[in-house]
Amino acid sequence: MRTYAAYLAKRLMQFALVVFIGINLTYLISHSTPIDPVEQTISALTSFGNTSPEAIETMRQSLRELYGMSGTPLEQYLSFWSRIAVGDFGPSLSAFPTPVSELILRALPWTIGLLVVATLIAWLLGNLLGGLAGYYRRNRVLKALGLVAMGLHPMPYYVVAFVLLVLFGFLWPVLPISGGSGMAVQQGFSFAFAYSVFIHSLLPALSLVLVGMGGWFLGMRALVSNIVTEDYVVYAELGGVDRHRILTSYVMRNALVPQVTGLAMSLGAIFTGAIITEEVFGYPGIGSLLVDAVHAGDYSLVLGVTSVSIVAVSTAVLVIDLLYPLLDPRVQVE
Amino acid sequence: MPILRTIACAAVALLIGTTAYAPSAQSQDVVSSLPRKETLILENPEGTIKNPGWFNIWAINAGGQYTGLQQLAMDTLWYIDPEKGLDGPIDNSLASEPPKYNADFTEMTVKLRPGIFWSDGVEFTADDVVYTVETQMKNTGMRWGPLLSLNVESVQAPDPQTVVFKLKRPNSRFHALFTVRFNAIWIMPKHVFEQAPDPMRFDFNKPVSLGAYALHSFDPQGKWFIWQRRDDWQRTTLGRFGEPGPKYAVYMDAGPPDKRVIAQMNHNLDVVHDVAPEGMFTLAKQSKSSRGWFKDFPYAHPDPTLPALLFNHQRPEFQDRDVRWALALLIDIKAVSMASYRGAATISAIGIPPTGTHPDDYHIPMQDWLKSFELDTGKRKIKPYDPTIGKQIADMLRPSMKEQIPTDQASIDRSFGMGWWKPNPQAAQELLQKAGYTKRGSSWYTPDGKPFSIRVMVEGESRPVITRAGTMIAQQWRQFGIDAKTDLAQGTMLDRRNAGDFDTLISWSVESYGGHPDLAYFLDSWHSDYVAAPGKMQAPRNYMRWASPELDGIIEKIRGVSFDDPRSIELGREYVKLAVREMPIIPLMAYNVFVAMDDTYWTGYPTAEDPYANPVPNWGNSRYMMVRLKPSE
Repeated sequence: MRTYAAYLAKRLMQFALVVFIGINLTYLISHSTPIDPVEQTISALTSFGNTSPEAIETMRQSLRELYGMSGTPLEQYLSFWSRIAVGDFGPSLSAFPTPVSELILRALPWTIGLLVVATLIAWLLGNLLGGLAGYYRRNRVLKALGLVAMGLHPMPYYVVAFVLLVLFGFLWPVLPISGGSGMAVQQGFSFAFAYSVFIHSLLPALSLVLVGMGGWFLGMRALVSNIVTEDYVVYAELGGVDRHRILTSYVMRNALVPQVTGLAMSLGAIFTGAIITEEVFGYPGIGSLLVDAVHAGDYSLVLGVTSVSIVAVSTAVLVIDLLYPLLDPRVQVE
Repeated sequence: MPILRTIACAAVALLIGTTAYAPSAQSQDVVSSLPRKETLILENPEGTIKNPGWFNIWAINAGGQYTGLQQLAMDTLWYIDPEKGLDGPIDNSLASEPPKYNADFTEMTVKLRPGIFWSDGVEFTADDVVYTVETQMKNTGMRWGPLLSLNVESVQAPDPQTVVFKLKRPNSRFHALFTVRFNAIWIMPKHVFEQAPDPMRFDFNKPVSLGAYALHSFDPQGKWFIWQRRDDWQRTTLGRFGEPGPKYAVYMDAGPPDKRVIAQMNHNLDVVHDVAPEGMFTLAKQSKSSRGWFKDFPYAHPDPTLPALLFNHQRPEFQDRDVRWALALLIDIKAVSMASYRGAATISAIGIPPTGTHPDDYHIPMQDWLKSFELDTGKRKIKPYDPTIGKQIADMLRPSMKEQIPTDQASIDRSFGMGWWKPNPQAAQELLQKAGYTKRGSSWYTPDGKPFSIRVMVEGESRPVITRAGTMIAQQWRQFGIDAKTDLAQGTMLDRRNAGDFDTLISWSVESYGGHPDLAYFLDSWHSDYVAAPGKMQAPRNYMRWASPELDGIIEKIRGVSFDDPRSIELGREYVKLAVREMPIIPLMAYNVFVAMDDTYWTGYPTAEDPYANPVPNWGNSRYMMVRLKPSE
């Protein structure tokens, strides 16, 4: 147990270091972008009117103060860490003065809701069908599913999304093509709102499931195909163990270990948002928020979203690393 | 295999469930709880608003502007339309008459319209105007704070219907700050804002409206905003023109261009703000209920802006007008029109957009001057203007577009523009040689022996049509032997443009009123006093940093005459002649906006045949279409 405690301490230090370096890198990259949020704002404010150089200069000074950009680079950096240490990312520059944390908290439930469900469905179906396909290799339906998965998996995501959009938004317009919920449906705990959210999530979720499932399917099929040739499986079959039990208790269980790792990583990455999905389907999640922030040079918001993502992914990896030695006896902490 | 059978059954059940839902899905998609026949749905080109609960339009970045807020809820002293307007292009809105200036333009008096009420029942008075000005002067972090504090010495309300502005220096166009072309200084409700501890950090939710509509509801995710016609719409400035047709107006993020096309084909988006030319052609061909500004090709509404090739005049290569002219004569505008707008462009040879009433004020009256304009190449004199280029573009498109291309000259002039500069590589060569440039082999060299290299900065995927124009121009120069390349700016365009970090740039520095001939809206900012030193940020709009004493003289004369003085048109024509001689920018075409309007539910949209308002739905003056829209049935 002492060994495990030492391992835990070491891993926690690594975690802290990764988060610190990751956030610093994001800070450096976002602050070295050639897009200046003050100039972006000034351009937007003056693009439809005649403004004198003196007025522009006054505007520039006011904005620098408002945006917290008036100090030296070192002062700005220290101020950033003093705020982020208490979870305050400051105000968004492109949606001033709304706090970054408020924007993130508003977008996160949509992303988490969509991606968690879609990822879990894709994972469950992909692994289940992939496992069956690997075990019952002569089954025609499963062979056909394998072909579909092989066809879908390498396809660029946006192609699948666009095909779905045209199919269900135009040729057979039965599903909403944009947004998280319908108009004039008040957000809250009501059946109308829940139904509207469900209907609006169908197309983006379907696109994610179709593409995601292919990967899980092929991975699981390959894993199971290898495991069924292992001695202990052959021995069980020769011993007359029920095939269903062999599949579930001997084959799938062992094959699932790396797939669970993959699932944890996927769930951790959810905090970055499904950028293309959200852009294509106009879904109000964290991915769209990040894209808008980058376009607007809103580095407060970029930093907020990426920091949350860095912490989430690092935490997912940490949890996996900590659980593995406890769950899998083959994994040693030393 | 029971597991497989279970999965198959579940999939079939899901499919049946979805299919059963299908018939109602489309109608429920967009306006589920609103009566569609009473609802107008328009695109908000701002996209999804990140902080939708903010309606403080006077604070910076606080919420969306084009969510219907500036179009339907805000109001100010005057409106000016890029088109002909409901009752002429200038509408006295909250003001009851045009502004009155004293002799030296240091004082402006405004008489206000009585009987106008805010949506919460409080009467609008001069105190609201005074409060608007003083509050923003005190807070230079507010949108119009710097402009007001630089211009206004004091503002007073001697009575509830009179406002007197005393200005810090003579300004014959001060009222332009309160005149909506696109937007202007909107009037604040004093009785609401004076309750807020900090006007810059006040969300103004729910907004109190001066317009004929008030906020009904909005998406907390910022996707849509719904406005409802006020019961007391007669007590608003729009009420003079009749009852607004739609009971509800929805401004929504309709997504990227392909989704806007799909949405309009499904009749879920009545007014598309803008689609790519190809999207408009698709709508015109496949949707019988959709149309553009022009009934036929080129469909688009010409904005009162003028995309052009801007030279950076602080670069030594572009300080000689012979070089600028040589580069203009290497451009084949027909090819640029095809590459950018697929031919659906309204070209302009002069530095005025061919929009609204401008063809009557400038383009047509100057045709004779343009035809006789001579250019000295150093070896000979040429007349570079070809008055038939617009017609050539129409003729070029006719075989493929057939009856969609107008045949009468007036329509062709209005749709495609009139003449442009005829490509003349020989004259270009002579002009470059006159300027000291030399050709060695197939490449051109500057007078100091360096390769003549030009980067044409283009915006990239965010503005594909204009980007294609720049790419075509670079290609044409390259074919002549100049080392020309496109310089893709992507998201850095505004920063680099303002910083002067470019050789040449496809953008616009000309924006006019369109429906009124006064050019001060952009021309005043071209005064050399406004030109920033190299490396410093340039204030709008003289991004090319052109400094000309002759132009300064024209601008100063315009400043000395009033807005409606006919002499300002004459001075405007002087500017045009100077700009033709000097070619500080190469004018290309109007910024054509492919506004698509669907008459399935509503008719009476503004069109080229009935140009009573600007149709582009994010412009403040698009509010006028509300009173002309009628249900289709």
